[in-house]
Amino acid sequence: MRNATPPHLPRWAKPATMGLVVLGILALVFLSTSFYIVDQTEEAVITRFGRYLTTTGPGMHYKLPFGIDKHYPVKTRVVQTEQFGFRTIKSGINTVYSNETFPEESTMLTGDLNIVDVEWIIQYRIVDPRAWLFNVKEKTNTLRDVSRSIINMLVGDRTILDVIGPERTNIEVEGTKLMNETFNKYGLGIEVIAVKLQNIVPPKGVQEAFEDVNKAIQDMNRLINEGKEAYNAEIPKAQGQAAQQIQVAQGYATERINKANGDVARFNSVYEEYRKAPDVTRKRLYYEMIEAVFQNQSGTTLIDRRFQNFLPMKNLDATGGKE
Amino acid sequence: MKRFITILIVLAVILVGFLIAGPFYIINEGDQAVVVRLGQIVEVRREAGLYLKTPFLDDVVIFPKRVMSWDGEPQRIPTKENQFIWVDTTARWRISDPKKFYESITFMEAAYGRLDDVIDSAVRTVIADNWLRETVRNSNLIIQRPGTTENFEVGGEADAGQLSAFTRSDVTYEPVQKGRRALAQEILTLARQLTPEYGMELIDVVPRQIKYSDELTQSVYNRMIKERNQIAQAFRSFGEGKKAEWLGKLDNEKRSLLSASYEKSEVIKGTADAQATSIYARSYSKDPDFFDFWRGLESYRSTLSKFDKTLSTDLDYFKYLYSPRGR
Repeated sequence: MRNATPPHLPRWAKPATMGLVVLGILALVFLSTSFYIVDQTEEAVITRFGRYLTTTGPGMHYKLPFGIDKHYPVKTRVVQTEQFGFRTIKSGINTVYSNETFPEESTMLTGDLNIVDVEWIIQYRIVDPRAWLFNVKEKTNTLRDVSRSIINMLVGDRTILDVIGPERTNIEVEGTKLMNETFNKYGLGIEVIAVKLQNIVPPKGVQEAFEDVNKAIQDMNRLINEGKEAYNAEIPKAQGQAAQQIQVAQGYATERINKANGDVARFNSVYEEYRKAPDVTRKRLYYEMIEAVFQNQSGTTLIDRRFQNFLPMKNLDATGGKE
Repeated sequence: MKRFITILIVLAVILVGFLIAGPFYIINEGDQAVVVRLGQIVEVRREAGLYLKTPFLDDVVIFPKRVMSWDGEPQRIPTKENQFIWVDTTARWRISDPKKFYESITFMEAAYGRLDDVIDSAVRTVIADNWLRETVRNSNLIIQRPGTTENFEVGGEADAGQLSAFTRSDVTYEPVQKGRRALAQEILTLARQLTPEYGMELIDVVPRQIKYSDELTQSVYNRMIKERNQIAQAFRSFGEGKKAEWLGKLDNEKRSLLSASYEKSEVIKGTADAQATSIYARSYSKDPDFFDFWRGLESYRSTLSKFDKTLSTDLDYFKYLYSPRGR
C-alpha cells in the first residue's frame, strides 16, 4: 500500500498534474462564462438563477459564472421590419421581391363590401428588452396577428376607393396608434415606429376593369380632341373664305361705281361739246364708230341695195368673217 | 493523506448525487411552476428564481407565464343574412392559475384543443348572430366621411363637374350598431365564461382576416367589374358626345360664317349697283336722245366686230356711193 502512486504511471497522469489540468479547465470555464460583450446596437438582460437582475448597455461586463447569471442580448437600437402580403428575398441596390403572393394576408373586405389587396410593412423597435424577452411567448406571431387584425379593421371601415386613395395616410397613422395600444396592453416591449402601406390594388380578377376606367378616360380625351381637330381643320378656313367673299364683293362695288363715274364723266364731256355743234358731232361720232368697227376687217360682204332677190353665196368654210 | 483523499472523493460523490437528485430548481423569468409531491400539488411558484424541493419525491412541472398566441383555423360561417364568410381568428391567452391548469388540462397541447373548442364556438355564435356589415366595419366612419365619391384625373379637356354626375354612384350605407371591435369583445366575453375553470385567462380574441367564401367572391368580383364598366362607359360616351358636339359646332359655325359673308357681299354689291345706276341715270337723263345715240355707238363698237357681216349699201354710211350729194 506504500506505492499508492505507482512509479510506472506517466508524468501527466500524476495527481498533481491532473489537478492542474482540472483547475485550468475550471478557470477557462470561469472566464468564458463570467464576461460578456454587449454590442452598441444591443442591450443585455441579466438573470440570476432565472430571475431578472438587471439590464446592461454596450461594452464588456462581468457576471457570475457557471450559468448562475445568464445574459440575453436584445437588439434595442435596430429598427426591425415585418412585411405583410409580400416578401423581400434579397435587399440591395436592386431589391428582389418574391413573386409569391400572400392572399391570406393581403385580401381584405372594405366597408362597401368590396375586396381589396393590401400590402404593408410595420417598423418597430424593442424599447423594453425585459418585457420583450419574458412577457410574450410567440412574439413574431403576436406582432403579425395584431398588425393584420388592425389593418383589416381599418380597411373594413372605409370604401375601396378611399383605401386605394385618400385614406392611406389615415390608415397608417391610426394603425400605428392602435398597434401601440395593443402591444402596450400585452406588454410586448416594442414601439411601432411606422406602419407603411405599400401596394394597394383591387384583386387580380377585377384589376383589368379598374384599368379599363383609366383607358376610358384616355379614350374620352382622344374623342374630344378628335372633335376639336375636325373643328379646327374647318373653321379657320371658313373664316378666311367668308372674308374673301366680302372682299370680292367690295372690289366689285368699287369697280362698279368707278366705272359708272368714268362712263358718266366721258359722256358728260362729250355731251358738253355735242351741245355746241350737235349735227357735226353726231356725224363724226358715227363715222368714227364705223371706222373702228370695220377698219381691221376683211371678208365683209357688201350688197347693192338695188339688187333684188339676191342670195348671197357664202363660203361657209371661210374663216374670214369670224375674227 | 490517503484517508483524506478517500473522504474527499466520497463527499464529492455525495454532493454530485445530491445535486443530481435536485434539491434545487430554477424557474426562469417568464415561467411558472407547480410542485407535485407524489401526485399532489404542494406548491405553486409564480416568481422566477432558485427554489428548494424534496429530492426524489417532488416533481416540478413548468408552465409558461407569458402571453401566448392561439391561432385558429379559418372557419366558414354564415352571417345573419346568410352570406358565408371565412373568419380567421387569433387569440392571446395566459395561464393565470397554474394549479387549476394542472388539474384540468395538464398538458399544453390539451390547452390549445380546449381553446379551439371554446373560441371557435364563440366566434360562430357571435358572427352568425350579426349582419355582415357589423363584422366588416368597425364604426360609421364610412357614413360620416363626406366626399367618398370618386375623383378621376380627367385631364383638361373634360368638364369634371359634368362628368361626375355620371360616374358618381350614390350608395347609402346602413349604420352599424356594434362594429368589429364590439363583436370581438362579445366573442371574448362568451369564450371567457369557460376559461377560468381551466386556469386560463383569455386576453383577447381578434379576427385576423375576414373574406368572402369562394362562390361569393366570384359574384363580388362580377359586381365590382360591372361597377367599373359602368364608369368606363360613362367616360367613353361622354367623349363621343363631346366629339359630336364639336362636329355640330363646326357645322353650325361654318354655315353661319359662310352665309353671313354671302349676305354681306350681296348687300355690298347691291348698294354699289344702285349707286352706279343712279350715277348713270343722273347724267344720261340730261339728253336721252343723245344718250341713245351715244350708247348705241358704244354698243356697236363692242359687238359688231364679232358678227359675220353682210352689209347692204342701204346703210346711211354708203349714201355717197351713189351720189356725191348723198342719195
